[in-house]
Amino acid sequence: MKRTFPLVICFGGGIIFIIQFFIPHPVSKAIYDEALNWLIIVSVFAFAIALESLFRVHGTKIKRRKPGWGFSVIPLVACITVGAFGIIQGVREGTVFMKVFHYITVPMSATVFSLLAFYMASAAFRAFRATTTRATVLLIVAFLVMFGRVPIGPFVWKGLPDIIEWIFMYPSMAATRGIALGVGLGIIGTSLKIILGIEKGWLGGGGK
Amino acid sequence: MSTNIWVWIAALLTLSVYSFLYKDNPIYRFAEYLFIGTSVGYSIGFLYWNAFIPRIVRPVQAGDYIVLIPTFIGLLFFARFTRKWTWLVRYPIAISLGIGAGISIPLTIQAGIFRQLQATMVGDFTISNIIMVVGVICTLFYFFFSLEQKGVVGGVAKTGIWYIMIAFGAIFGYTVMARIALFVSRVQFLLHDWLGIIK
Amino acid sequence: MKGKIPFVFTLCTLHFALLSSLCAQEITPPTDVKVFDTPNDAGNSITIKWKLSSQDSLLDGYEIHRSQDPVGEFIKIGWSIRGINTYTDEEIMYKGKILHEVKNKTEYYYKICGKFDTEFTSFSEVAGPTISSPQLFNKSKINVLIGVMALLISFLGFIRIAKRGGRLFIRKIAGLEALDEAVGRATEMGRPVLYVPGLSTISDIATIASLNIMGRVAKKTAEYGIPLLVPNRDPIVLTVAKQVVKEAYLAVGRPDVFKDEDVSFISSSQFAYAAGVAGIMAREKPGTNLFIGMFWAESLVLAETGAATGAIQIAGTDAMTQLPFFVTTCDYTIMGEELYAASAYLSKEPILVGSIKAQDLLKAIILTAMIVGTILMMLGSNVIANLFKV
Repeated sequence: MKRTFPLVICFGGGIIFIIQFFIPHPVSKAIYDEALNWLIIVSVFAFAIALESLFRVHGTKIKRRKPGWGFSVIPLVACITVGAFGIIQGVREGTVFMKVFHYITVPMSATVFSLLAFYMASAAFRAFRATTTRATVLLIVAFLVMFGRVPIGPFVWKGLPDIIEWIFMYPSMAATRGIALGVGLGIIGTSLKIILGIEKGWLGGGGK
Repeated sequence: MSTNIWVWIAALLTLSVYSFLYKDNPIYRFAEYLFIGTSVGYSIGFLYWNAFIPRIVRPVQAGDYIVLIPTFIGLLFFARFTRKWTWLVRYPIAISLGIGAGISIPLTIQAGIFRQLQATMVGDFTISNIIMVVGVICTLFYFFFSLEQKGVVGGVAKTGIWYIMIAFGAIFGYTVMARIALFVSRVQFLLHDWLGIIK
Repeated sequence: MKGKIPFVFTLCTLHFALLSSLCAQEITPPTDVKVFDTPNDAGNSITIKWKLSSQDSLLDGYEIHRSQDPVGEFIKIGWSIRGINTYTDEEIMYKGKILHEVKNKTEYYYKICGKFDTEFTSFSEVAGPTISSPQLFNKSKINVLIGVMALLISFLGFIRIAKRGGRLFIRKIAGLEALDEAVGRATEMGRPVLYVPGLSTISDIATIASLNIMGRVAKKTAEYGIPLLVPNRDPIVLTVAKQVVKEAYLAVGRPDVFKDEDVSFISSSQFAYAAGVAGIMAREKPGTNLFIGMFWAESLVLAETGAATGAIQIAGTDAMTQLPFFVTTCDYTIMGEELYAASAYLSKEPILVGSIKAQDLLKAIILTAMIVGTILMMLGSNVIANLFKV
């Protein structure tokens, strides 16, 4: 009941959906669509666990007056306020909920994303300092590709865009395919182990 | 300069996040926690109106009681809060895992293996195609776990690593411009939308 | 230039005159119409093929007409441009409404005519009846089915060998070897270990692989008595991670070191999560950072922030687009398939090692097929390549 049944469910679900792939019949498609719907419904309740964790972490900090506890008030208040506005007002354009999304969430996402411009430079500098031959090859190719994609690159060397295209089409593509083939086998292997009940780490050790 | 309070909020939060480049500081921490809180609040509203209402409430109101099965399964997650019934959480996890694993196997064979193989088998006998096929072979050799990477096998695997480094360099270089464009877009927002310095 | 304009004008006039003189009725119609149930589908679809008119280049295209009675009224249901000799008559739905119907178990008849401007050729002979129906098996995917069976047999075979106690070797994987050293270093510094299990859901196999590694790392941190911080993006992964880490600390007899808040939820938003984890790294200053699972653009934000704190970093992902960034910023990187070999490598359990052997056997088969297939393709034969056609 505690360990065997979940493994049986996992096995059954896995086999059903392997077989489903080969059956084009509308009933098969309906089962697939219904299963995806079920997964979304199940994940709605899983989100409650996530909320509990967020409130517990920050609530504990506030309760125990840990260093920086004042900041922990912010995510709790923001979460409750925005969530309440969302449920009461709805998620239409023009609501406070959507204004928060457009003027707080989206700009901050874009800003964190844009930090990559700086981090790429520092990552390249760190790789350059490493002075291993492999890091050097990586950097030389990266520099060539970067240089070739800006207007000055082809201006300095006319053949540069062709070289870059060749790098992408042949040696880079070769490594990408090799890794993809290996990853494909790895995914299939791990999936089979999960379905067959060989990989059981997700069960945890409790409730034996 | 903008007179829209929301633009000011967005601009100040943008600068707060950039302050992290210098070091962690209270202004960044405020922005970070606000970001986390608002994004979780957004998820609440989004899930309520796009998942809970249309997929559970409305079908039940229309008489479709089948959705009560996944609803019950989802409610098993709350068993986590009890000591005695924590193991019930394994049921919804097992369903998610089983479905995910079952779907992924044939799809991965089709797209991850067969398509890659087909694309590698090229008909034109050119130096470039030979380089490509040799690269795929050497890269695959690197991922052989049953063989010690010594001698001939080691040499082939090392060649595979060189191919991998070239690919990584190409990907690295390719994404640089896109990342810089993101930064330019934020600067444009600050200088145009907020301060009105540029047009 | 002067002489060219009258010449071109004359040529166009003659061409137009020639076309106009040919009445569309005199252009030969399409022939040899064949209709059949579209194979390997869910029904509601019929395929029509025909032989092009011998004067196909003079036509604009072909009109396809359909009826449920061979001598009844035929209605135009489709159009095909010249040069194309196939058409699929399939049901079209839009926002839940059927715009064009193809009923299953219903007899349909088809005929085709060519069209030039506003004129039509005579019709082809009527073809049919044909009935649309759903298939129970997609024959075009039979090679994938054989692949699944081959995998299953290979796996079960090697697992059987492993169970019998056969000695199975796995080569060294540097990133996984370094896990113990990395945890040891955090212990020496008296700092926690940060484990990021990726940003994907539990259905993503990379996340499962990550959770397997997390279990081993949790046992190590429990033995050394240091906290393991696990920030999560996905609620279900959070649930499993809590179980895995808690059980590891209980198993080693160190429940005092485990705190429920150490395995926490940050946010479902990609960059809010990245910002949150960056904040944790800056404040908690873990001695070791482990980034193992599925990552997207935020990978470099995490890795660079961690590098700036001076922590030892090990990354593992199968995301090709993020590997370059991990390679440049982390001390060790577990690449691609190595991530999936981790549970076998770390546990050395014979059954798990047997599954890695099965993967290697299949890799050898793929390599052989690739080499032989490529040689044959270069010699003009695509027999092997067609085996993998999807």
